[in-house]
Amino acid sequence: MVHEKEDTALVLPPGVVGSVEVGRLIRELEEVDENLLQLKLRKSGSSIKMPKTSRMMEQIQTENELNLLHETDRKRLSKFLSEVKANSPICHISFSEEPSQKFLEQLTVWFRKEIHPSLLLTIGLQPNIGAGCILRSTNKYFNFSLQQEFVKQRDLLVNKMMPPGFELKAPAVEKQS
Amino acid sequence: MTIWWLLLILGFLGSSGIAFIWLAVRLNKVAVGKKGKGLSGSTEQAAIEDVEHIFNEEFREELRNRGRLHFEKIIGENAMFLQQDLRLTTSQLNEYMKTEVTKTLKEEFSKYEQSISDAKQMAIDSIQKTNQAIVEQREMLSKQVEQEVFDAKRLLIGHFQDNMADIINHYVLAAVGDQIDLSDQLEYILGELEANKQEIIEDIKNGA
Repeated sequence: MVHEKEDTALVLPPGVVGSVEVGRLIRELEEVDENLLQLKLRKSGSSIKMPKTSRMMEQIQTENELNLLHETDRKRLSKFLSEVKANSPICHISFSEEPSQKFLEQLTVWFRKEIHPSLLLTIGLQPNIGAGCILRSTNKYFNFSLQQEFVKQRDLLVNKMMPPGFELKAPAVEKQS
Repeated sequence: MTIWWLLLILGFLGSSGIAFIWLAVRLNKVAVGKKGKGLSGSTEQAAIEDVEHIFNEEFREELRNRGRLHFEKIIGENAMFLQQDLRLTTSQLNEYMKTEVTKTLKEEFSKYEQSISDAKQMAIDSIQKTNQAIVEQREMLSKQVEQEVFDAKRLLIGHFQDNMADIINHYVLAAVGDQIDLSDQLEYILGELEANKQEIIEDIKNGA
């Protein structure tokens, strides 16, 4: 679990959807940390090239009011990200087509607001579902697809498709004495 | 029964013949015995002479002839009776044989007719049983075919109904799949997630 006291202020930005992004942030943070350590060890006057931070890193800094030049913030963020990667719940969600980043952010916002604040999503692709999505949580499977909707409305479809008065009659079977 | 009567008649005729032969031999012996014996005394001699005088050779010959004729007559009559009896017996025998043969033939024919009738009845029974078996087999086959047709129909309809969602989904996707935008589905997806929110939370809380 995420540390309650230290990390209550830290939140994942909606752009960080899944564990891939969290891993990328961890590697980026390690790179920043490494560069700053080298900067500290080198003599003054020598040039050093600072790594360029990504949009996600900027988002997480902004939302959590962190300054990566401070070692404590870096350590705090590193710890938070490690714990998120290790312990956060993961849901797998599949769509019929590749979702846009905006769509994913809106979905992530809802999940983190309603389900769990550090929940991660893994995005899958299933073109045969038509519309909607299929969600797989830790132990359960939720089918919110158009196909499943048709299955739910099967009786209605059958009634509409079968001719009126249609009834499949079984042949008469004589009782054997 | 008739054969016994025949044997009895033949026995009677045989015994009659033997009796005549015996009588003739007896008479002959008496005649010879009388000739051989001599009478003693004068009376006897006189009687013998009288007798010989009365029963002289001609008279004896006459008696002998009469006896012979009588015997021949009796023999003739008996032969005639015997012939009549034989004819009657032959006739009866023929009649009997005819009756017996006719009776035997009738019995045999009756048995033969009975055998033919039994064989015919057996053949009719066999044909009826075969017909019955064919009818039953046909009915059973008919029911089996009906059941199989029904099962096939049910299977096809069930298969169609079971896969109806997939079929319709396939056609919907083929028809308007390109026009369905994922962004337009956000509201629907969030609505479904909202409806199952509690279940998802519980699963995540209780999850391994």
